[in-house]
Amino acid sequence: MNTQRAPSSEFRLLATPLVIFLLVFLGFPAIVNLIYSISDVSFETLRRPKITGLSNFVAVWNDSAFWQATWFSLRFGALTALLECGLGLILAIFLSPLIEKRSWLMAILMLPLMVAPALVGLMYRLVLHEFAGPVPYYLWAWFGASLSFLGPTSAFWTLIVVETLQWTPFALLLFYMAYRAIPTEVVEASAMDGARRWSLLWYIELPLMAPTIAVALLIRFIDGFRVFDNVYVLTGSGPGGSTASLSIYIYEAFFKQGAIGKAVAASVILFVVSFAVLYGLNVIASRRKGVLK
Amino acid sequence: MINALRWLVFAIAAVAMNFPIVVTLVTSLKSARELSTNPGLWVQAPTLENYFAVFQVSDRLNIFLYLFNSITVAFIGTTLAVILALPAAYAIARGKLGERTLLPFIVNLRAVPLIIFAIPLYMMFQWLALLDTRLGLGLILSIVNLPLALVILVNAIRDLPAELDEAALMDGASRTQILLRVIAPVCRPAIVTSLIFGFITAWNEFLFGLMLTTSKAVPITVGASFFFAASGGGVQWGVASAVMIVGALPPVLLGLIMYRQISGSMTAGAVKG
Repeated sequence: MNTQRAPSSEFRLLATPLVIFLLVFLGFPAIVNLIYSISDVSFETLRRPKITGLSNFVAVWNDSAFWQATWFSLRFGALTALLECGLGLILAIFLSPLIEKRSWLMAILMLPLMVAPALVGLMYRLVLHEFAGPVPYYLWAWFGASLSFLGPTSAFWTLIVVETLQWTPFALLLFYMAYRAIPTEVVEASAMDGARRWSLLWYIELPLMAPTIAVALLIRFIDGFRVFDNVYVLTGSGPGGSTASLSIYIYEAFFKQGAIGKAVAASVILFVVSFAVLYGLNVIASRRKGVLK
Repeated sequence: MINALRWLVFAIAAVAMNFPIVVTLVTSLKSARELSTNPGLWVQAPTLENYFAVFQVSDRLNIFLYLFNSITVAFIGTTLAVILALPAAYAIARGKLGERTLLPFIVNLRAVPLIIFAIPLYMMFQWLALLDTRLGLGLILSIVNLPLALVILVNAIRDLPAELDEAALMDGASRTQILLRVIAPVCRPAIVTSLIFGFITAWNEFLFGLMLTTSKAVPITVGASFFFAASGGGVQWGVASAVMIVGALPPVLLGLIMYRQISGSMTAGAVKG
């Protein structure tokens, strides 16, 4: 079939509802974002924003809380992505002989993925509670230790553990599927050539799984970077804004401080940066595909 | 020997990853009296009193309303996403329409921090009187569900042989007729998968529920947190646990029943998206 043929008008018609929907619910907000970001606007002057130039952007740029939140999001995204993918990879390969025979084991491991991150965050309020929570209880009973999990020094690491434990199953699942998809002939042929288990893993299996690993790292980084739900219900922005992600920073600027201009300017920055990065990644991905073909 | 080690590792991983769920389940079965003396992982006298308490409607808390809201918004957010995505997926897969523009743009939406759109949507909803309505929240959830639904459906249609369309075209059918009578029925498994996946995602969504609803349209993820803001004298942990279990149950059950399809589409969404 000739793929260069111009799309028929009927195809255009079929895609139209989706395009209109996107224009209304994403295009319009994007324009509002742009206008408000260069305006002096408050809840009283929503319909008559006064265009003032780039002062909102300057305010965001000079706001140390913005940079603190950016740094939190970057660190949180990178650390959780690495931990989740590392753990997921080890578990997927080590447990695959068990799961192969009994797929219900995978269902148990996947359970956390089905629960709302907001609810998981709330559950940890119970788990870590100093009187009602089992973790502080057993720590005290067995080790005589009492830790403040959500205090200023440890909140960040507690959140990392919370996020990692919930989303490692995602990486595990992806890697398990990729591992199972390695053709058995490849493995058998290398085994015949006398490859040992470790070199088989290192030189044959892991390189074959590399694309999946890259994708999983990217997805988990993005989800960690834009984290909101579980952090919001567990620590909010935390002591001194120490656990505010960019999403929480924007939310609080808007809803708690009523600083519409600042919140919207930060949204626009995030919007431009994320689309630039994603577009760049798409270009790289399609170039590599071109090379491979 | 190595197998015993594997089982041990599995057990540790399973307990660690499901730990908050286990603790919440155990706590939800403890009486208020037992809770004050026993924060441990066992229950001395299991009771369902917390579950009865959760379903007591008061002026402040109404779990039936939260559950009804979640079901409604998840239903709107899921079906609308599929209704919009299916014809577009057909146009993309067969008409090669927007393969390099529309498709990557929507797929990238999955990766954009949605808070970016939240503030203007909040204002827009204020003008349109959609704040704190189930319809409003449902509309936004369909945007959240669109990327994955589109990827799943485009992949499903691409996997169909082109002869299917061509035979129908020969018979004089229009593209719309082909979509409705040939493609949609054959793609039923993919449609069901996107519906289920969308339902779980929509049910579990929190950010937009928090921002766009206040009382009438509050979904369960947000409503559950109301149980933590106790009316005087600390959180009632037993009742709070019960509400979390109730709120987590529908997506967990769906997920357990359908986990094969879900694992497949998660991988599809990740690898091909």
